[in-house]
Amino acid sequence: MSSHLKTWPLSLFLGIVSFPLVLMYVYLVIDTITVTPPGSIIPEKFTLEDWRFLFEEATGRRPSIWSVTLNSFILASANSIVIVSISATAGYALSRLNVPFRSFFLAGMMVLHAFPTVTLIVSIFLILQMVGLYNTLIGVILVKASLLMPFGVWIMKGFYDTVPWEIEMAGVQDGASRFTVWRRLVLPQVQPGFLALGVFAFLDGWSEFILPQVLAPSSDVQVLSVYLAGLIADEFYFDFGLFKAVGLFYSVPVILLYLFFQDKLMNIYGGGSKG
Amino acid sequence: MRHQSDRLGLAFLTPALIFVVLFFLSPVVLTAVFSFTTMSTATGISGGTYRITPSAVRSAAEKGLNPATAERLSQERYTIDDDALTRATKAGIDAEILKELERDLKGKSTDDRRSFERLLKKLDNRPNRRQVKSISPHFRTSILNQSFEDRTTLDATLENLGLDAAERARVAETSYTGWIWTSANFRRMFLQPDTYRILINTIVYVFTTLVIFNTGYAMVLAIVTFYLPGRQATVYRTIWFLPRITPPVIYVLLWKWLAWDTGFISTITGWFGVASRNWMLDTSLNAWVFVVLINGFVGASMGMIIFSSAIKTIPESLFHASAVDGAYRWQQVRHIILPQLRWPILFLTTYQTLSLLSSFELIFLATNGGPGSATEVWSLAAFHLALSNYAGNLQYGLGAAFALILVLIGITASLFYLRLFKFSEMISKPRIEH
Repeated sequence: MSSHLKTWPLSLFLGIVSFPLVLMYVYLVIDTITVTPPGSIIPEKFTLEDWRFLFEEATGRRPSIWSVTLNSFILASANSIVIVSISATAGYALSRLNVPFRSFFLAGMMVLHAFPTVTLIVSIFLILQMVGLYNTLIGVILVKASLLMPFGVWIMKGFYDTVPWEIEMAGVQDGASRFTVWRRLVLPQVQPGFLALGVFAFLDGWSEFILPQVLAPSSDVQVLSVYLAGLIADEFYFDFGLFKAVGLFYSVPVILLYLFFQDKLMNIYGGGSKG
Repeated sequence: MRHQSDRLGLAFLTPALIFVVLFFLSPVVLTAVFSFTTMSTATGISGGTYRITPSAVRSAAEKGLNPATAERLSQERYTIDDDALTRATKAGIDAEILKELERDLKGKSTDDRRSFERLLKKLDNRPNRRQVKSISPHFRTSILNQSFEDRTTLDATLENLGLDAAERARVAETSYTGWIWTSANFRRMFLQPDTYRILINTIVYVFTTLVIFNTGYAMVLAIVTFYLPGRQATVYRTIWFLPRITPPVIYVLLWKWLAWDTGFISTITGWFGVASRNWMLDTSLNAWVFVVLINGFVGASMGMIIFSSAIKTIPESLFHASAVDGAYRWQQVRHIILPQLRWPILFLTTYQTLSLLSSFELIFLATNGGPGSATEVWSLAAFHLALSNYAGNLQYGLGAAFALILVLIGITASLFYLRLFKFSEMISKPRIEH
């Protein structure tokens, strides 16, 4: 910006404070493919031993990694599909249509968006037990999608708000119904929004830990986060190399999606996710 | 035309509303409902039965049930009724004797075996000693350890034993195995000293994380990356965004690797002769440092993004002009950037106070409230009480009472945002129909 001012002290400062963070992520990768002797931080030799979990069959204690991954994938994709499809209509209604009590609904969505959802976990647990959805993936998906819904609707409303009114006016003038206008003219305009929200919801479902941990702990519906947390909590089986290999395996889709959609995701996260 | 849009709007909105009502709004309401119950693993979540256990009788006696009545409940009795006669017939007892019992003594009941057998011996049929011995077990009844499906059957049985309405109510109360309505959860919450410890922990945690990282360090990140050349800025922003997109389980695992007794810090300090230890859990202070760091590193990224985009909206000419005037960078920050960040800071503070108050996922994974309960915060306490404790008896009701406090804070704060950030200005009316 101001060229006569030096930037290297700033860069040095950030470099120092960022160091622990970088260190943790670098060693996340290094430790999964090397053996480091105790008391040293320099790896000794290359090994793929930590990745053997990929080929292990399910045992009584642990389900196979692939069935767990499939569950995670189902949870994340279902979350993404439900959020995108339902926010697509609700967001449009709140942005453009003359819904009765419109501002009440808008305010409601905003309140729920700011609402800390984890506080509801106790009653959600009891509700799922009562309706018989405890320990099912469906239950987790429904809850996860519902809790993210206000956020999704709010984000989609934001995308619809940027579509010029003229497009719709023209459509309506030509005699098309509001539904046709939405489907033919408006939807193509907000496709980037779908993509961003879809990726966000996928990552959100993929990373979710507390909901599946509490609502679906049994091994046949376990997801990757619960599986990994179970590994780490198992006191008889302590192996950081394995933990990190599973962790890296678990985070590969996250990293790939993040690299591809970085700008879009930053926008959405800046729009206020939890934490 | 307008009508059509109304209907389409409602149709478009309905799916989202169904989801939100079922799994978002109903939990809000039910948290309040559950907090006024005694629900726990022991009571179950559906209704219960009435089971007259010795301990139920004892606690009824403690609550003022007449000792003689309590004694009668615990005792065996011998009753001549249809059930007993059927049992005896099935067991092959002499039909003549039973007939006589039914005709002359039905409905009679005695408190002990001897008086029952005396009755038998007086019968016209004159059963012998051996017969008497074999008959009496079939007529023995005891209310102890019996279960009653509902209050009516319980009452009928107790009435037979000669309990009056007040006594019956007392026994029903102590023998019920299901959950009941109560306000005791709140009394417990406010009276137990742990609560204040948890409250103080929560305030310390939220305040420290918020001030140091979520706003303070986030601002530093935004301002410093603003002054750095484009490529470097992107690299640092990406690095500091990593904690937010990394799944929490892995993110906390990385910190554990740093802190555990065979981890990075122990290895380095080991070179200088420091005994290896778990740096995250060895003292309360260390645990707090890690809890704040772990949450703060995640929290900083949101502030970084919001502050960065706020700084971007400042016209560049302002910076050029001040640079020409020979302003130092610090003066630019103070007089140009910081004033611009006033609203974002307010937004972030209010928003993240709420997030921090309710978030327990990272603490649960990192210290789980330990060592001892040094890092137990409010939301984690609710979680522990209701869904995950070592004692095994999960206290849903009490946990819900703890959660309800957060729910109320959440609702209040969210409504406050609406006013603070001028919600009404964010709504534009639909323009096609008026």
